[in-house]
Amino acid sequence: MIQLVAASLLDLLGYQFFQYALIGGTIATLACAWIGLFLVLRKEAMIVDGVAHTAFGGIAIGLFLGVAPLIPALAVSVLAVLAITYMRRKGLAQSDSAIAVMLALGFSTGLIVISLAGGFNVELFSYLFGSILTISQADLILITGLSIFIIAFMTVFYKELLAITFDEGSSRLTGIPVEALALAFNLMVAVTIVVTIKIIGIILVVALVVIPALSALQFRLSFRKTMLASIIIGVVSMISGLFLSAIYNVATSGVIVFVALGFFLALAAYNRLR
Amino acid sequence: MSDGAPVLEVENLNVSRSGDLVIEGANFRIDRKDYVGVVGPNGGGKTTLLLAILGMLPKQSGTIRLFGEPTESFTGWEKVAYVSQNAINFDPSFPLTVKELVGLGRVNRRNLGRRLGREDWDEVEKAMQLMGMTDISERRVGELSGGQKQRAFVAKALVRNPEMIFLDEPVAGVDASTQEKFYQKMSDLNSKKGITILIVSHDLAAVFCRMSKVICVNREVNVSEITPGEDPNKILRKAYGEHFHFVYHDHKCEGEF
Repeated sequence: MIQLVAASLLDLLGYQFFQYALIGGTIATLACAWIGLFLVLRKEAMIVDGVAHTAFGGIAIGLFLGVAPLIPALAVSVLAVLAITYMRRKGLAQSDSAIAVMLALGFSTGLIVISLAGGFNVELFSYLFGSILTISQADLILITGLSIFIIAFMTVFYKELLAITFDEGSSRLTGIPVEALALAFNLMVAVTIVVTIKIIGIILVVALVVIPALSALQFRLSFRKTMLASIIIGVVSMISGLFLSAIYNVATSGVIVFVALGFFLALAAYNRLR
Repeated sequence: MSDGAPVLEVENLNVSRSGDLVIEGANFRIDRKDYVGVVGPNGGGKTTLLLAILGMLPKQSGTIRLFGEPTESFTGWEKVAYVSQNAINFDPSFPLTVKELVGLGRVNRRNLGRRLGREDWDEVEKAMQLMGMTDISERRVGELSGGQKQRAFVAKALVRNPEMIFLDEPVAGVDASTQEKFYQKMSDLNSKKGITILIVSHDLAAVFCRMSKVICVNREVNVSEITPGEDPNKILRKAYGEHFHFVYHDHKCEGEF
């Protein structure tokens, strides 16, 4: 039985669609983990869910116009982040309310555009719920390029982002461009969302960004080690979720998130009991 | 003791918060190497005064000069360090070790986008040593006691080698012996390293025993030199009111600390 499973897992690796899924999934997870820990510590995790739902409007527009949906999704996500930042700074709305407004605007736009285009179809569902096993070569190139861009940004400004996440006031005093960096970080969040939509789907993007970070925090380590743990948990969830879903023939994005949730529950329980 | 060169000059400063005038017509100067206590009743405007000096609160009118430059055009912020009253009230689950926290003190606009170098980590070691934190450098800040947290934040402020440091109630909620050690450490920094220190404190005995100047804040701001043997009540009544009486034994200073 075990030999049979091992053999079929090896078989899977021979398929191009599975290779694309493994590579794309792993790279996107790296970006998610980098972004996720900062987001959780900034207490802004829900911006991911809000902007992902806003991106739905972009996906719908793309499908309607017949262009690659991730391109308008990226534009809409970036606009959503800029609008949320603007509303906060001008005192028009608190952070969570500003996110709610953009979520409503994006999602309702999406619904209207879809009805104009003749209703829901399979492709739209693949963006809502993810379809990692149908990643094309073009998707893979886009995911890899954008992820490298995100990881490079986060690596270069690691210490400044940590400083403003920990204490914005005293960072401002030392001349760190707090507003500019916070905006740039939120734009990276928008890019991360677009990278991840194809893999895990609009509805579960927030899980892939937040849960590895939350799980890693249970170890109570230094910031560096927590980041490393978050990346490892994310990648392990992604890879094992992919294989498990293939073996049991169930929804891949669901299994990936379930494995990540398993990590979180186990670590939280361990943390309580020790 | 001061050497006469002004590092902070405040002229006709008015500061409002939510429409109320909190600081009115403040005029004073602090010289290099001064060791200053900022005292006054709760809600009297001590923190407001500090935040206005640091440019973290807008002023209504007046001039503030740091190292001779108006704060609006001041560019030497790396010379100034500040430990806020709320510094230690951060999320205790934040994953940060003492060493990482102190390292954050080396982050500034000049090393934007670059990793901290060996020189930075040497300074981190020195600051931790100075505040007696070397043994617990790998501990998480959220797990430390109140006194240890305070020292960690002061180490973070000192790691930049500032010329001037502002501390807002650094030892509030810490036991008496830890407070004494803390003020001793600050006295050493002032006398040995020549750092100008401003401390907001409710510990009047510590202020009058150790410091060279006292700023009394209760909307009005009065600055006095502290002269040994002089009755502090004359100074304190300007802020706390005519009926205030502070029992203070000058001769006890040496023994107490």
